[in-house]
Amino acid sequence: MSSDSNPAATPTPCEDVQGDGRWMSMHHRFVSDSKGKEPEVLFVGDSLVQLLHEFEVWRKLFSPLHTLNFGIGGDATQHVLWRLTNGELDHINPKVVVLWVGTNNHGHTPEQICGGIMAIVNVINQRLPQTHILVLGILPRGKSPNPLRDRNAKVNELVQVELASLSYTSFLNVDPGFIHSDGSISHQDLYDYLHLTPHAYQKVCQPLHARVKALLEAHVP
Amino acid sequence: MSEEENPAAEPLPVQDVQGDGRWMSQHNRFVQECKDAEPDVLFVGDSMVQLMQQYEVWRELFSPLHALNFGIGGDTTNNVLWRLQNGELENIRPRVVVLWVGTNNHEHTAEQVTGGIVAIVQLLHSRLPKAKIIVLALLPRGELPNPLREKNSAVNNYLRAALPRLGPVQFLDVSGGFVHSDGTVSCRDMFDFLHLTASGYSVVATPLHELLLQLLEETPQERRASLV
Ligand SMILES: [Ca+2]
Repeated sequence: MSSDSNPAATPTPCEDVQGDGRWMSMHHRFVSDSKGKEPEVLFVGDSLVQLLHEFEVWRKLFSPLHTLNFGIGGDATQHVLWRLTNGELDHINPKVVVLWVGTNNHGHTPEQICGGIMAIVNVINQRLPQTHILVLGILPRGKSPNPLRDRNAKVNELVQVELASLSYTSFLNVDPGFIHSDGSISHQDLYDYLHLTPHAYQKVCQPLHARVKALLEAHVP
Repeated sequence: MSEEENPAAEPLPVQDVQGDGRWMSQHNRFVQECKDAEPDVLFVGDSMVQLMQQYEVWRELFSPLHALNFGIGGDTTNNVLWRLQNGELENIRPRVVVLWVGTNNHEHTAEQVTGGIVAIVQLLHSRLPKAKIIVLALLPRGELPNPLREKNSAVNNYLRAALPRLGPVQFLDVSGGFVHSDGTVSCRDMFDFLHLTASGYSVVATPLHELLLQLLEETPQERRASLV
């Protein structure tokens, strides 16, 4: 599938429908934040990346690794693609980029979302050929089984297959088992059945932190 | 302005456009919590209410007051009205209700948003005649001056005039603490120029906690009195 026919793989800025310019303000802040920072690790993605920055686990596990956080709530793959091709990678050369996006791609098929994620992986690899790209599996959502859970699971399957043949990138499933045996997800983990509580971030971040540290130590793309 | 004329005062559930049913799942959980808990304080509103529960400040200052949190991200006055009319006030008798909603009413004018908040306050009064109500001012939003900031500030001015006529309602306005002298809002206070960081919440939580303590002290505890 070419990027021309896939809306999830077509760089698109978020339209300021509300009228307070917040999305572009955040993008500009990320570009200016990145100057002179020399991060070892970059997190990029949607609200699941963004909110991580607001909780203690970020300061405990990721700040010490010299990490920047370029998460924006509501972002889909095409928005992250636009940001990364419009300045957010221009001034940095991190050893590891952690990519976590896709759950907001409403109206896109799993194949399109996978294509969007792969387009982002490509852009990062072209701009930062020495960087390892760690793609996180997107999480289940909704209290009860629903089509978006199935869609997200399918995206993860497709992305894993695509990434397997590429040496500079890898996949990490960070779902510690949020779906209970009765099919439900608890608000103790996903407080609105989408976003993580601090408690759930702890569970997600232990293996994530271990993997990022291992990648930094190995220091090979 | 009557409820009929005001689109912000019409009770509406959120349409499940995404298809995972999260909004209704949250509402149903809140209704269930009403059956299981006896809160002294009820927080109701949008993400500003909801996200507070994810920070330490909730456990430190508000949980100890026996507070329930019925915040749902993205909610408008319409959605809160619908929730409160459809089970979220059943089986509970909080002594104080904290209401914080309105910044998501994108399709409504400042006057309409004010009317929507007033309609919620009136509903709370009729369902919980003994409860006191705290209405939190809408906060500024956006890194730079913009029309939504002006609208939220206009809502606050209308509320300041309208609320005293409604009975035991307190208006708590901490919005002034967030706009710097150069007109910017800092990402240290609002990480996405809308939602509060942990330190942004402390600006709101300290005066809110003081006011809650004061109102709880003034308000007799009905349930326990009736047990004696
Ligand atoms: Ca009860």
